[in-house]
Amino acid sequence: MSQSAVTSAAPPAVKPEAKHVWLPAAFLPRLITGVVILLAWEFIVRALAPAYVAKPSTVALAVPRVIADPAFLAATGATLAAVAQGLAVALFFGTVIGLMMGRSPLAERAVRHYVNGFYAVPMIVVLPLFSLWFGYSSGTRVATIIFAAIFSIIINVADGARSVPREYMEVARSFRAGRLSMLTGIVLPSSMPYLLAGFRLAAGRALIGAVVAEFFLSVGGLGYFILYNSRSYKHSEAFVGVLLLAAFGVAFELLVQWMTRRFMPWYRRDERGG
Amino acid sequence: MQASLRRHAPFWISIAVGLAIWEIAGRASSAAFMVPFSTTMVRFWQLVTGGQFIVQFLDSAQLFLTGFALSLLVGAPLGMLLARVRVLRIGVEPYIMVLYATPMVALIPFILSIMGFGFAPKVLVVFLFAVFPVLYNTVEGARSIKPELIEVAKSYRSSEWALWREVMLPYTLPYTMTGVRQSIGRALVGMVAAEFFLSSTGLGQLIMGASQNFDTGGVFASIFVIGLIGVGLMRLGLAVEQHFARWRQ
Repeated sequence: MSQSAVTSAAPPAVKPEAKHVWLPAAFLPRLITGVVILLAWEFIVRALAPAYVAKPSTVALAVPRVIADPAFLAATGATLAAVAQGLAVALFFGTVIGLMMGRSPLAERAVRHYVNGFYAVPMIVVLPLFSLWFGYSSGTRVATIIFAAIFSIIINVADGARSVPREYMEVARSFRAGRLSMLTGIVLPSSMPYLLAGFRLAAGRALIGAVVAEFFLSVGGLGYFILYNSRSYKHSEAFVGVLLLAAFGVAFELLVQWMTRRFMPWYRRDERGG
Repeated sequence: MQASLRRHAPFWISIAVGLAIWEIAGRASSAAFMVPFSTTMVRFWQLVTGGQFIVQFLDSAQLFLTGFALSLLVGAPLGMLLARVRVLRIGVEPYIMVLYATPMVALIPFILSIMGFGFAPKVLVVFLFAVFPVLYNTVEGARSIKPELIEVAKSYRSSEWALWREVMLPYTLPYTMTGVRQSIGRALVGMVAAEFFLSSTGLGQLIMGASQNFDTGGVFASIFVIGLIGVGLMRLGLAVEQHFARWRQ
C-alpha cells in the first residue's frame, strides 16, 4: 500500500483508533495541527506584538465587517477581472505560440531562447518599464499579469505539442487531413494535460503579478486593499484580503487537479515549476 | 568545428535577429519610451564603470544568498523530519500546500509595518518566497520512499542516524533539488520585491531610481542585467537538479 493512500482512504481495520471510521484517519492530526497553529499565533502575538498586529481572534471578528464592505467587494472584483482578462489573453496567445513552437522546428529555434529567457526574468522587474509604457493604470496591471502568465503556458504547450505520438500524425496525414485540422483535431487535444499544467502555474503567477502591480501602481484591487489597510494599521482587515488571495490560490490548484482527474484520468505527469 | 558551428548557428542567428529588432524599434521610437540595444549597452557600461552597479549588485547578492540559504537550512531538514514522523506529516501537509499556493507578496505590507526597513525584514521576504518549494518537494520525495526500505533497515537494527544517512537523505535529495530549482527563481522575485517595496536598495533600487528620473536607458540596462542573472540562476538550478536526478531510479 502506498503511503499517500493512507492520508485519504479509510483506515485499515487493525488500526487502534478504529472507532473513528466515519472520519478519514488524517482528520484528527490535521485538526490538532490547525488548532495548535492558531493558538500559538494568537498567544505569541498577544504576548510580544503591538495591539494592531493581526491575530486569529481579531481577524475572525474582522471577517463579517470586511465582507459586508462594498469597497472590499469592488476591490476583489477588480483584481479577479484583471486576472481573468490577463489569463484569457495569455492562454490564447500562449497556446498559439506554444503549438507553433512544438510543431515547427524553425519557429522553435527562432523563439525558444526568448521564451526561456523571459520566463527566467523575475516578472516584477518589468513593472517600472510597463508603467512607463502604459501609465499608472489598470492596463499596466493586465500587461503585468499577461507577462507573468504567458511563458509557462507557452513552454508547457510546446512540450505537449512536441510529444504527440508520431503514429497519430501519420494516420491523419494518410487520410489527407489538412494542417489546420491536424493542429486543432490532434495536436491541441493531446497537449491538453500539458496545457492544464501550464495553466496551473500561470494562474499562481498571475495572482502574484496582480498583487505586485497593485502595490506598485496603487491601482484599486485586493492587493491595494491590503496595502492601504495595513498602512493605516488595520492589519486584521487587511489580513482578510490575504486569506481571500490564499483561497483563490488553493481554488485554482484544486480546480486544475480536479479537471485533470475528471477529463484526463489516463494522465499523470510530474509538475514543472517555476 | 564545423559541427559545432552548425549546431550553434540557429542560436546566434536568433539572438542577432532579436537584437536587430530591438535596435530598430528603439531607434524608431521616442527615447522616453524605449532605447535601442546599443544605448542600453552604453548605459550599462556607464553604470559599471561608475562603480554604482557593483555596489548594488553585491548588496542584492547578500540579500539573495542569506534568504535562500535560510530557506534551504529550514526547508530541507524540516521536510525530512516530516517525512520520518508520519503523524506530523499528515497533520502539517495541508497547511504547507495552502502556504505553497498563497501569493507571499501579499504579506509584504505587514512585514513592512511590523519590522520596518532593516535588512532582517527583507531576508524574511526572500525566505518566505523560497522556503515552501523546498519544503513541499522534500515532503513529496519523502512520500516516495518505500516503507519496506525503512522496515528492512529497522529489522537489521539500523540506528536512526544510519537510517537518515543511508535511506532518507539519498531518496529525498533529488526531490529537494527540484524544490531548490523552483526556489532560486522565487527567491529572485522575492529579492526584487523586497527591494521595491521595503527599503530601496540593491538592483531593485537601480531600476527604481532610473525610472523615477525618467532614465529609460537605465531602466533597460538594469532590467537587462537582472534578466541575465535570472537566466544564469535558472541554468544553475537546472544543472543542480539534473545532477541529483541521476539518483532517482
